[in-house]
Amino acid sequence: MAKDNETETRMIVISPSSSVTPDQITRLLHNSGLEITIKETCYGAMIEGPKQEVGKALVAVRKLDPNRIFTKVRGFPIGDARRCRAHHGSRPGFTQLEIEWDCLKLVEKGVCAAEAGEKITEKPRAPKLSVEDLRKIIDEVKQ
Amino acid sequence: MKVFIVPPNSLILFDLVERYGHEPLSLMGAIHERVVNPEIESPPVNVTPEDVKKGLKYAGIEVPSGIRGRLAVWGPLVDQAEAAIIMDDAPFEFGCVGCHRTDEMVRFLIKKRKIPYLEVRYPTNEEEAKLMVSKIKAFLEGLKK
Repeated sequence: MAKDNETETRMIVISPSSSVTPDQITRLLHNSGLEITIKETCYGAMIEGPKQEVGKALVAVRKLDPNRIFTKVRGFPIGDARRCRAHHGSRPGFTQLEIEWDCLKLVEKGVCAAEAGEKITEKPRAPKLSVEDLRKIIDEVKQ
Repeated sequence: MKVFIVPPNSLILFDLVERYGHEPLSLMGAIHERVVNPEIESPPVNVTPEDVKKGLKYAGIEVPSGIRGRLAVWGPLVDQAEAAIIMDDAPFEFGCVGCHRTDEMVRFLIKKRKIPYLEVRYPTNEEEAKLMVSKIKAFLEGLKK
């Protein structure tokens, strides 16, 4: 378990459109000689250690695919019995992670466009289905 | 600058804020401080008596305890924030599931503080994602000036 605020736990999430694998990330970090704990996961990896070391690890990992590797801080330490599945912990953040992971393939396009300086114009969204239209659809289905 | 993100546990917003050179104020950071504190053993004991008092600063006693409990963690982050990014129109699984009232209250607290904030829409296609990222990038770069 983390001892103090100097320790940081990070989640590294690979966009579904990236060709980088969680195995590549863990191998890179294991070979980097940094004093951090690494756990390979289905979405990427989790790393934990002193903030400075974690920062160095993130710089190295991002180099693999800068626009398709995303990270965020994790509240609970790696293997914490309150969250770790190995200890039958609950996973309340999993739905959030799942939906954001799926959205990363879109966000990655945005990051690439922003990097290229692409000009984007805002288009209005299609309006929601009106009650009248919904009634028409229901009537059509009934027949 | 310290940028508060809504929802405060978002990977996308956290990463983008950090990517464009600012410090994201996230729920995970606040939770980390609490879970490594030996005072909190395990759920359902996940707040301290001190948290309950803090929550009262942001919501009255008549407000449900769940909202006050959440605001005890989120409120101090809003107080520290120098700017905020809010994600709108997101699917229900996105963000802290369970308390829409806290979400509304946090938006109110942000607007009440009169700090610069940006509201973006959850992207559903490539064009919207490009627009969202370009807006966030422009907003965060503008903060540096």
